[in-house]
Amino acid sequence: MRRATFFVLLAVCQAQDNPFASDPKAAETARPMFRILCAPCHGLTAEGGKGPDLTLGTYNAGDQDRDLYRAIARGVTGSEMQAYAGRLDDKAIWRLVSYIRSVGHKETNPITGDVANGERLFWGKGACGQCHKAGVRGNSIGPDLSLVGRQRSLAYLRASLVTPDADITPGYTTVIVIKPDGTKVVGVERSFDNFSAQLVDLSGRYYSFIREDVTSMKREFRSLMPSYAGTFNDAELNDILVYLTSLRGAK
Amino acid sequence: MKFVLSLLTASLALAQHSAETWTTYGKNTLGWRYSELDQINASTVSRLAPQWMYQTGVPGKHESTPLVFDGMMYTTGPSNYAWALDALTGRPIWSYKSPPPADIDLCCGPVNRGFAVHGNKLFKVNLEGKLLAMDAKSGAVLWEATLEDYKKGYAATAAPLVVKDLVVTGMAGAEFGTRGFIDAYDMETGKRAWRFYTVPGENEPGSNTWSKDTWKRGGGSTWITGTYDPELNVIYWGTGNPGPDLDGDVRPGDNLYTCSLVALDADTGKVKWHYQFTPHDVHDWDSTSDPVLLDLALNGRTVKSVMMANRNGFFYALDRATGKLLVTKAYTKVTWADGIGADGRPIRISGQDPTPEGNKTCPGMGGGHNWQATAYSPQTGLYYFSSSENCMLYYKTKQDFEEGQWYQASTVDRNPSGTGRIVALDPKNGQTVWQFDMVSSPTAGLLATAGGLVFTGDAQGYLIAFDARSGKVLWRFQTGGTIIAPPISYALRGRQYIAVAAGETVMTFALPSQ
Repeated sequence: MRRATFFVLLAVCQAQDNPFASDPKAAETARPMFRILCAPCHGLTAEGGKGPDLTLGTYNAGDQDRDLYRAIARGVTGSEMQAYAGRLDDKAIWRLVSYIRSVGHKETNPITGDVANGERLFWGKGACGQCHKAGVRGNSIGPDLSLVGRQRSLAYLRASLVTPDADITPGYTTVIVIKPDGTKVVGVERSFDNFSAQLVDLSGRYYSFIREDVTSMKREFRSLMPSYAGTFNDAELNDILVYLTSLRGAK
Repeated sequence: MKFVLSLLTASLALAQHSAETWTTYGKNTLGWRYSELDQINASTVSRLAPQWMYQTGVPGKHESTPLVFDGMMYTTGPSNYAWALDALTGRPIWSYKSPPPADIDLCCGPVNRGFAVHGNKLFKVNLEGKLLAMDAKSGAVLWEATLEDYKKGYAATAAPLVVKDLVVTGMAGAEFGTRGFIDAYDMETGKRAWRFYTVPGENEPGSNTWSKDTWKRGGGSTWITGTYDPELNVIYWGTGNPGPDLDGDVRPGDNLYTCSLVALDADTGKVKWHYQFTPHDVHDWDSTSDPVLLDLALNGRTVKSVMMANRNGFFYALDRATGKLLVTKAYTKVTWADGIGADGRPIRISGQDPTPEGNKTCPGMGGGHNWQATAYSPQTGLYYFSSSENCMLYYKTKQDFEEGQWYQASTVDRNPSGTGRIVALDPKNGQTVWQFDMVSSPTAGLLATAGGLVFTGDAQGYLIAFDARSGKVLWRFQTGGTIIAPPISYALRGRQYIAVAAGETVMTFALPSQ
């Protein structure tokens, strides 16, 4: 009985070891694959974009090879990271793991800041909770930030605070509707199609319009969020970034 | 006896191909997707209402053109599923499934675009590069032929085309270093009658457009059904991108016959002429849109022509007997070429190729017009197709080839603010007559009808009916699922139906019965 258990465990361990761990070419063969599948979110150099920076040597999904394998194969709950097991075979996934390992080199904590002060700024001076949720607090006009520390890289979050128009989270564009009486309704997209628009204005009021009933409706790929470049000084920006990266849901 | 039998077969074939039925991918072998039914028209379409829905329960993109005859609808789904549905009620009569191999690699999902039919035999491809004949009454498999080994990256997704006693099929897999072809099989035995390689082998004509052994993985897949002119006995088939898609440095030359239209002798598969829309393509601009065959009135004479809204952004009409260019015009924003020269070759603008750092070019990787079925109405003389309005950053990289592995040599940055249009174009001059702007890239194919209507769907789930002459939206219905497949039309017990797959559901629409 004990022997059987031992064999099962051994088999599991073997299945979770990277067969290319000692093959220096594996990482290089996966580079083109990384550019096709991963670069759209993690960046051409893996330094992150919309998705996390993969060069830090530490990862949201866990730091072992098997954790990276699992993240690629099954996706990451609570993020936009999809499951690739249906599209990539075992070997291809392990080669990607090798590639990601080969680009990991940076310090694990590139900025220092005061989390507690960041949290105070978020709810106070920044008034971020007017539009965003973090945990149970805040509003649902902009994207929910409860897991944003898992979902976004530090550089992306900094860019979002300073130049909010740089990249718009899908489904959060700005919608502008002109009604027949000339009044204008501006809000955050909830849905937008060829015949109708649904939006929420900054007071949280929900609207639904049919195209024929209004003078015009359009969607703009910009954010209704203001830039915080002039609101926060450098130290405050770091504090709020450290706070945002700490938002990872329950451990 | 033999005479009686052949007479019976002839009448059966005649009954199969009528205004009431839909028996080939493009409605007729000319690829018009034009229904002669007019019960649903500009004055009645506002009363169009759902009749039945069949929920397939199979996840994935439903791209199939259903066939309808003898009171049955035959349609296919993703992952090697197929169904025979009672056309009156939508009730399933038989179903077929054959799980694809777990280790199959596909560029674009486990899709299938439908059946072909002759008599009581249905023909379809399976993803793993198989062609099947099935008994229409039972769904039983009569024979199965292997096109090519899926482990080397070959796949199959297109609806086959019946040409006389042959069933003709294309293949997919140009993202995996394959070598494209068009195959014809004996419909009784499943034995291969001929194969045309879209990339010539050593010492064959056109082989000098490849360097060294790059032709072996030259791509040029044939993943959309071609068309057939019975008078000329010629098959017209579009070909896909060369491989690798974005790094052209490893394959200097024109790379024939990729991104081309090939005209093949239907009996032998020998190429009569070819026209290459994008020589040495580096933007993944497959030329796989349906080649639509029509007689075009030009300068007081009628020319047998073939037209295509190409993924590279240009509309083309060619003489279909010779391959000579008749009409061309950009139908969308194009930054890579300054028109098409008198020699039929694009006048390239330099600096538009992919780079390691990314280079912006229009149209985007999906085109212009991609594969979504187009329609031609002899009533309006207009050609209807979808177009993405999009530019993209194109990247290239060095990539070593490995058999069966993804071989694209880099990628694009997708543009989230890309939009689209439905275009009605006059093939005599390439001018857009009307357009309908869409908030995102169009997803669905089109249908034209004698009721003066054009039908299509959209990414957000609307099924839409346009006035074919003006483009005015006359009717729409929110189906609740992205529409990718083209709508079709047929008649049953005196009522005209519109059918389309939306999301994972096959839906039909008709006017309320009196």
